[in-house]
Amino acid sequence: MNLDIVGRNILRIDALSKVTGKALYPEDIFMDNMVYGKTLRSKVPHAYIRIDTGKAEKIDGVIKVLTHKDVPNNEHGVIFKDHEVFCSEKVRRIGDPIAFVVAKNKKICELALKEILIEYEEIEEVFCPIKAMKEDSPKVHGDTNIVYHYKIRKGDVEEGFKNSYAIAENIYRTHMVDHAFLQPEAGISFIDEEGRVTVMVATQYPHYDREEIASALELSEEKVRIINTNIGGAFGGREDISLQIHLALAAKVLNRPIKAIYSREESFIAHAKRHSMIMKYKTGADRDGKLLAMEAEIVGDTGAYASWATNVLRKSGVHATGPYFIPNVKVDSIAVYTNNPFAGAMRGFGATQVPIAHEQQMDILAEKLGIDPIAIRMKNIFKQGSITATGQVLTDSVPLDRCIEKVAEKIDFSLEREEAY
Amino acid sequence: MVEIKLKVNGKSYILEIEEDMRLLDLLREKLGLLGVKEGCSEGECGACTVIMDGKVVNSCLVMAFQAEGSSITTIEGLEKEGEIHPIQQAFIEVGAVQCGYCTPGMILSAKALLDKNPNPTEEEIREGISGNLCRCTGYNKIIQAVEKGKGV
Repeated sequence: MNLDIVGRNILRIDALSKVTGKALYPEDIFMDNMVYGKTLRSKVPHAYIRIDTGKAEKIDGVIKVLTHKDVPNNEHGVIFKDHEVFCSEKVRRIGDPIAFVVAKNKKICELALKEILIEYEEIEEVFCPIKAMKEDSPKVHGDTNIVYHYKIRKGDVEEGFKNSYAIAENIYRTHMVDHAFLQPEAGISFIDEEGRVTVMVATQYPHYDREEIASALELSEEKVRIINTNIGGAFGGREDISLQIHLALAAKVLNRPIKAIYSREESFIAHAKRHSMIMKYKTGADRDGKLLAMEAEIVGDTGAYASWATNVLRKSGVHATGPYFIPNVKVDSIAVYTNNPFAGAMRGFGATQVPIAHEQQMDILAEKLGIDPIAIRMKNIFKQGSITATGQVLTDSVPLDRCIEKVAEKIDFSLEREEAY
Repeated sequence: MVEIKLKVNGKSYILEIEEDMRLLDLLREKLGLLGVKEGCSEGECGACTVIMDGKVVNSCLVMAFQAEGSSITTIEGLEKEGEIHPIQQAFIEVGAVQCGYCTPGMILSAKALLDKNPNPTEEEIREGISGNLCRCTGYNKIIQAVEKGKGV
C-alpha cells in the first residue's frame, strides 16, 4: 500500500481553477438556444390558492408557465414526500413555489411573475411549535403537526432527582439560522445527446436529486442525469431539492436548455434553515457535583416541511446529555410542523443546539453548589469505557479531559479555579 | 443603449450597453469574464470585487456606464505570460481555497492592497480583505496566503 500521502499537505486538485476564476458554477454555464426560468413563490404563510396564468402566458417572450398541472407526480422530499413540486391547493409557508415561468430572458421572467394572478384564501396559521403540538391547533399537513418523537429512557429520573442536592430547571431557546453559502442556488437543465434529462447543479446529493427528479417526472432513473458543478458552499443547505425538479421539468417539456439563478433574497426564502429549538431541561447533581439525573424535552420547529427533521431531532436527543455520564436520563425530542420557513440540515445536524442548554445547566449547577465550572465538568465527562444515555460504550479514544485542560490553560482559567476552591 | 469605452485586463473595448446594466453584468455577459462572481447583489459579500483604476469596487454596485474611460482588472487579468500571480500561487500552496466562490474577489482585494502597500502588517491585511466574506471561514489561511504572497 502506498502511504506517501499520509502526513503530508497536498494541494487541492481544484485550487488552480478556483484562484484563476476558471472554476465553473452553474450560473457560469451558457448554452445555445438557452432560455431562463424563474419561480413564483407564496407571499403568505398559510392559504388555499387559485392560480391564473393566462395573462402571463400572453406576454411576448414568455415561452411557458409551469404549474402543478404540468407535473406528472407532484410530490418530493428527502424522507417524507411532503413537498409539492408546485403547490396545487394550499401554500404552507412564505416562499412555497407555485409556478415557474420560462422566458427568453430574465427581465421577461420578472415581468411575467407579476402577471400571474394568485388568489389567496388565507387560513389560520401556526408559528409556535408548542402551540402546533396541541390538538386544536391549525394543521399544516394531515391531522397532526407532530412529525417525529424520539425517546430515551435510562434508569429512574424521579429517584435521581430525589437524591439530588442541587437541581437546575430552565428553558432554552435557539433561533433558526441560514447557511448563507456564498453562491446562491443556480442550475441549468437540458436534454443530452442520449435523450436524458440532464441537470447541472451545485448539490450535496446528486443521487437523491436524480431519484427525486425521476420520481416527479415519472421517468426511470437511467433517463435522468445530474452533473455536479463546483459548489459555492453548502453547509447542509443544499441537501434538499430547490430548483432541480423545476428545471428538469422545463427541459423535458420544452426540449431546450433552461437556466435559473436565485437572487440572494430568493435563496434565503427558498432553502431550509437550522431548526430553532425550545429545550426544557432539568438536571440534578449531588453535593459534590456528580450528575444524578437529567430530563429534557426538546421541541424542534421544522417549519412547513419535514426535510431531515427526524435525523436532526434524533441527533439532538442522542446528544442531549452533552459529553457527561448521567445514570438516570429521560429525553423526549420532538419535531413539529409550523408555517415557518422549513428547517433541515445545517452543520451539526441537531447536535449544535443542545450544548446551549446542557452547558448552561452545568454552569448553573456549579454556581448553585459553589463548585468551579471546570471541576464540575471534569467530574462528569465521558472517559474511555463510559456508557452514554443511549447505551453506547465508548471504547475508543475519549480525550475530553485533555481538551478541557488545554482550553482552561489557554483562556487562563486557573486563577479563578483557585478562587472557586 | 449607450456606448462606452473602457479597458479591461489591458485590452481596450468599445461596447454598446443598456443603461440599466451593472458593471458586473458587463464583465460576465458582454465579455465572458466569469471569474467575477455574484453573491449578494448589494455590496455586502465582495464576491464581485474587481479593481477599477487601482481601487477595489463591488462590480454589482457600479453601473456599467460609470466605467466609461476606466481601467478594470478582473481575476482573468492576473496571469502574465501563462504564469499565475504570486498571490494566486500562495493561495494554492497555503490552502486558502475552499468552495472558491470568494476566492477571485479575495485575491483582487489582496492584490490592490499589495500594489499600494507591499509590506502590510497582519492588521492591514485583515482590513484590506474586510470587504470580502469567506463563508467557509477560512480567513486565517487567506491571511497567511497574503503574507506569503507579499514581497514575492
